[in-house]
Amino acid sequence: MNLVDNILYDMLYHSTPILLAVLGGLFAHKANVLNIGLEGMMLTGAFSSALVVMLTGSLWLGLVISVLLTLVLGLVFSFLSVTLKSNFIITGFGINLFAAALSAFVLKFMKLANINVSSVVDVASLKIHIPLLADIPILGSILSGHTAITYAGYILIIAAGIVLYHTKFGVYVRVVGENEEAAKSVGINANAVKYAAVLIGAALCALAGMELSVERLALFTNNMTAGRGFIAIAAIYCGRGEPLKCALYALLFGLAKSLAINLALFAGPISGLFEIVPYLTIVVVLFMVSVIQNRNNNVRGFKLE
Amino acid sequence: MKNKNVILSNIYSVLLPVIIALFIGGIIIAAIGENPFLTYQVMIQKSLFSAKGILKTLHFAAPLILTGLAIAITFKANIFNMGVEGAAVLGAFFTGVVGFSLKGVNPVLHVTLCLLTGMLVGIIFTLIPAVLKAYFKVNEMVVTLMLNYVVAEVVKFLAQGIFKDPASGYVSTYAIAESAMFKKLFNSDLTLFFFIALLVFGILYVIFKKSKLGFEITAIGKNPEFAEAAGMNVAKKIVVIMLISGAVSGLAGAGFLMSEKYRFTLDFSGSPGLGWDGMLIALLGNHSPIGVFVASVFYAALKTGSEYIGLFTNVPKDIVGVIQGILILCLSVKFVSRNTGLMGRWTQWLGKIRSKRENAMSVDGREGEQG
Repeated sequence: MNLVDNILYDMLYHSTPILLAVLGGLFAHKANVLNIGLEGMMLTGAFSSALVVMLTGSLWLGLVISVLLTLVLGLVFSFLSVTLKSNFIITGFGINLFAAALSAFVLKFMKLANINVSSVVDVASLKIHIPLLADIPILGSILSGHTAITYAGYILIIAAGIVLYHTKFGVYVRVVGENEEAAKSVGINANAVKYAAVLIGAALCALAGMELSVERLALFTNNMTAGRGFIAIAAIYCGRGEPLKCALYALLFGLAKSLAINLALFAGPISGLFEIVPYLTIVVVLFMVSVIQNRNNNVRGFKLE
Repeated sequence: MKNKNVILSNIYSVLLPVIIALFIGGIIIAAIGENPFLTYQVMIQKSLFSAKGILKTLHFAAPLILTGLAIAITFKANIFNMGVEGAAVLGAFFTGVVGFSLKGVNPVLHVTLCLLTGMLVGIIFTLIPAVLKAYFKVNEMVVTLMLNYVVAEVVKFLAQGIFKDPASGYVSTYAIAESAMFKKLFNSDLTLFFFIALLVFGILYVIFKKSKLGFEITAIGKNPEFAEAAGMNVAKKIVVIMLISGAVSGLAGAGFLMSEKYRFTLDFSGSPGLGWDGMLIALLGNHSPIGVFVASVFYAALKTGSEYIGLFTNVPKDIVGVIQGILILCLSVKFVSRNTGLMGRWTQWLGKIRSKRENAMSVDGREGEQG
């Protein structure tokens, strides 16, 4: 594989957790509950799946339990922010801090520095080589050889688009987000829709976490999500909550990460600095998107967001 | 009378989350087979029930007062400046650089230079999100969070590279010169830095409560559109507010380095970090300066006490982080407000049951009459 192939392959790889969090966060965003807790939910998914896989040796059990635990976290988030009408940004940060602290706490208690499941999980065998696709010269090496959750993530872009724009539930979510009073007046249970939107996000974040820890590295370390949940929020902002656009931004941020990793190999002593490229990319992209969105805006001053 | 009620409900609205958080924390401690009462007892005893413990608590409260105020001032204006963490870390790092590279300087001058470095770095760092937010309407929360990661990586790169102390076994910069260190006072951990934090607290108290800027912060926080219409230059004020926050956070990092750590290590800010602690403190203190002060002493007591629980129990000290997370979750909800809060619901629910029962009784009575 040459460098460009590597970069593109890694782009798909590193976009996946962001993409899954984006698709999960979309529903909540559309229902007007911004879920800052994506980061914490992803971390919980990564941590619990790694822990369960280490303890039981079963990938499926890891998947199921991590999804269940993350759903519990999603329930807590939606109970506080929807039922009790909390300040959901603060609630989201609470979720993030709680998830990070709890995983660190459990690791310390078990006297582990990290969770290494490489003896149970063979990372190479989890990569699926798609028969016909793998034989195509360049495309094959880029598109084939990813993990199951990665493929699921890309299929889910389409699924999210269909659910959001072509089903009753999607209409409900958007109506609740755009005008909650109107939604209530036609008999939509707004709170139930919001709960569902948050829980979808939680489940997808569990997948994102599992792909990050178990599927790709067979390793969990503290705070390994490293801001991917927030990156997803940036992507949602930039794409204005439309699945395809947001997914493209997720890909863009994945590309930044992949470029940083692949080019750092040639950077010698300053390779450590390349880690900042993805984060700076996001700041720059947010800036550009904001400038473009406000270009024809003649409103002076500030609007309540 | 009404005023008293307001104060009482304010106290309840803080006390209730604290109790819930400690309770859930207790359940977690019990779940790993340890005694929650013993754990909490050790925590409080070591940090609050001896003169030395109290002074140590106040010593650790100093940077928390500052980061708490730094967050409170922006949250009050409805700006989510999460860059307090980054500003504190970056400020501390460059304070460290000034601290070890200048030698043979008058201590007063050296300390002043170091503190100014911290503040200046904090201001420069916060200038980026401030300008982006004020003039380009870029969401400040995501930007500051991303810049925090940038800071973490840059600082790591520098600490592993040019500024690494080769004599140290782990990644760390050189220790700062003696002339830049805050001396311990009264034979305890307390240093002059605590009094500097108090001074800043005083200044910010005046700004919050007595100055025009304080009023403007509240106005912008309540409704920026109205503030703009009333003639405030909201964009400029946002920059000012964020720069104050950045300066105070930089000072917090600088002071923590000069009074406690003396050298920059990668775990300088701790986990989850000074800025995040500041967020909890600002929420706990309800964005008011005095509240922030009380909250930072409380939280510093928890943190100081947590250093000792390892000696008496098997509970990892990370339990404080867990309690912190739960506390923030609880604090995000307004438990004690009349209509939407939990207490309001509770009384409403009780009222409903009572009226239902009364209805049922009267219906029963009528049925009885008919039968």
